[in-house]
Amino acid sequence: MPFEASSDRRGRQKLDRETVNTLVVFGLSIVLIVCSRFISPALGSWSQVLTVLILASFLIILSFGQGLVILIGGLDLSIPALITLGGVLTTTWIGTGDAGVWYMLPAILLICAMVGAISGIGIVWLKVPPFIMTMATSIVVASVALGYTSGTPRGGSPSSLLWLMKSWFLGVPVVIYFTIAFILFGWLLQNFTALGRRLRALGTNRSAALIAGVGVTRLELVPYAISAACAGFVGMMLVGYSNGATLRMGDSYMLPSIAAVVIGGSSILGGSGTFIGTVGGAILLTTLGTMISAIGLSEGWRTIIEGAIIVGALLVLRGEFLTHIGNRMLTRGK
Amino acid sequence: MSAVTASPVSRRSPFWRAVISGTGIVALIYVLLYALYAFWQPDALSLYTFTDLVNNSTPLALAAAGETLVVISRGFDLSVAGVVSLTNVLMAVYPLDGPGGALASLLMCCAIGAFVGVINGILVARLGLQTIAATLGTMIICQGLALVILDAPGGMVADFVTYTLTDTLFGVVPIAGLFLVAAVLLWLAFRRTNTGIGLYAIGADEQSARFSGVAVSGVRITAFVGAGILYGVAGFMLSAQTATGNPTAGTPFLMLTFAAVALGGTPLSGGRGSLVGSILGAGTLMLLQKVLFSGGVSSFYTGIFQGFVLVLAIVFGNTVARLLKKDEVR
Repeated sequence: MPFEASSDRRGRQKLDRETVNTLVVFGLSIVLIVCSRFISPALGSWSQVLTVLILASFLIILSFGQGLVILIGGLDLSIPALITLGGVLTTTWIGTGDAGVWYMLPAILLICAMVGAISGIGIVWLKVPPFIMTMATSIVVASVALGYTSGTPRGGSPSSLLWLMKSWFLGVPVVIYFTIAFILFGWLLQNFTALGRRLRALGTNRSAALIAGVGVTRLELVPYAISAACAGFVGMMLVGYSNGATLRMGDSYMLPSIAAVVIGGSSILGGSGTFIGTVGGAILLTTLGTMISAIGLSEGWRTIIEGAIIVGALLVLRGEFLTHIGNRMLTRGK
Repeated sequence: MSAVTASPVSRRSPFWRAVISGTGIVALIYVLLYALYAFWQPDALSLYTFTDLVNNSTPLALAAAGETLVVISRGFDLSVAGVVSLTNVLMAVYPLDGPGGALASLLMCCAIGAFVGVINGILVARLGLQTIAATLGTMIICQGLALVILDAPGGMVADFVTYTLTDTLFGVVPIAGLFLVAAVLLWLAFRRTNTGIGLYAIGADEQSARFSGVAVSGVRITAFVGAGILYGVAGFMLSAQTATGNPTAGTPFLMLTFAAVALGGTPLSGGRGSLVGSILGAGTLMLLQKVLFSGGVSSFYTGIFQGFVLVLAIVFGNTVARLLKKDEVR
């Protein structure tokens, strides 16, 4: 069975598979962008690439949190609700202008992180499965947001968020610098800190991590809190991007956040995967989405193509296939 | 195999075992909620209200029943949302009137569900994709097809389907309920077959099941096909109830089916559980909405209660299981 076979073979071969997967995902994105010129001359241009990257930045930040949760073998279904929470709190508490933005934004992120931590507490101490617990949190938070705004969120975007999402610096949108810094931060956190290593250990083998002296219970809260804070932050970014919040603003990010992580080469069962791979997955998915919407097909056909490509990508990126190709490339190279 | 499914409570009588199982707990919750409903809404005990409740719950109950098959085999099936949308749209765009038309529509819905199930099964069992990933893909494709057939809510479901299936038989039995009874009877027969036993076995430990001679990929495909057929019937019943088509009709089913399965005492880690529990779980979720409404809670805040009931049911189930285990050790 695929579930257990993957946990037996660690070490060198595993690393190769992750690297190859990442290269394939990035390569596919570049090929797609280049090929898109044949579909429409407007595609594949520099400004088009920048648009794709701005759109991908939402997914990259979300799937960092989702990826950490998946790394420890969980799943975060509360992402859409927390995007909405972050967005709605930003427009109602700060609104247009910049009054108190310096302490309000961190406070809202803290609230989101606490909601995530509550999910984590339910999972760790009450032993509710992650799937159910984050779903319950999601239902509760969405309901609170609905009741709090009486169905129609008011207010606009603080000017600092508008600056983040709309202004340019040296010919590149500010948000792209921010996303690159975030990717760097996420990569360092996941690969070069004790926290990152402990999370991976926890996802690989829970009892082994426990025996090795990893404080399992408290550690397990961290990814849920981070994921919730990331979602809250994306809510703020979306507020800056569209100058307002809606109650359904997060809905379309639920499945892509999982898909980006899985396409990026992580196992949905935890213990494997890299953030750089996930970034590639997010960029690939966004490129696809933009390309398909540029072809001018109806929404139904676009959805069908998107689904078919996800299945196709998963089939191509399957473990054995990539290991096979990877080993071949390695032996040829030597 | 029954030794595996019932090991913690094997020394108790079958009756007691049923009471303390997940199914028993959710049945208890349902009865308590219904009592509360009857307290606030005196006509809750009338046949009319009961029929209405059964009609409301049937689509979700059938979908949850299908999901249970996949969950027991330790998998997730997201294609439920796609199949329900697709069948609903087809029913509204191509209405077939009369009893014959209704039967043809039902068969068509089952065939679509079975076809999607076969594809899911092949992707998972033969091509080795993770269940959540493969069914995510088929779900998106089905939703796309639904949008191609009908790009905005509209259409009319055949009158025969709308009126007959939401009515009562001999003025006593809600017809929608008969579909649930049929699903339960088929399930009770199925779980005694080799495939049914294999379903629990691969959910509990796929490796051992394989070594014990369970045809793992065959059982997995059967589970997905059975699930798909039940989603098809769920879409059929939903169309009968709403009388119109909506290309996103299935989306709310995605979360609610998993909620119903979990509430019904089937752990998402597989290997245990019952279809009957999931049907009761779906009924409880729908009943809760009615109870909250009749209790004067603003519909804005219904979600808060649903979330808490979901978590409480799981925590309660966990506690009972732990107490039982302690009891056994002594």
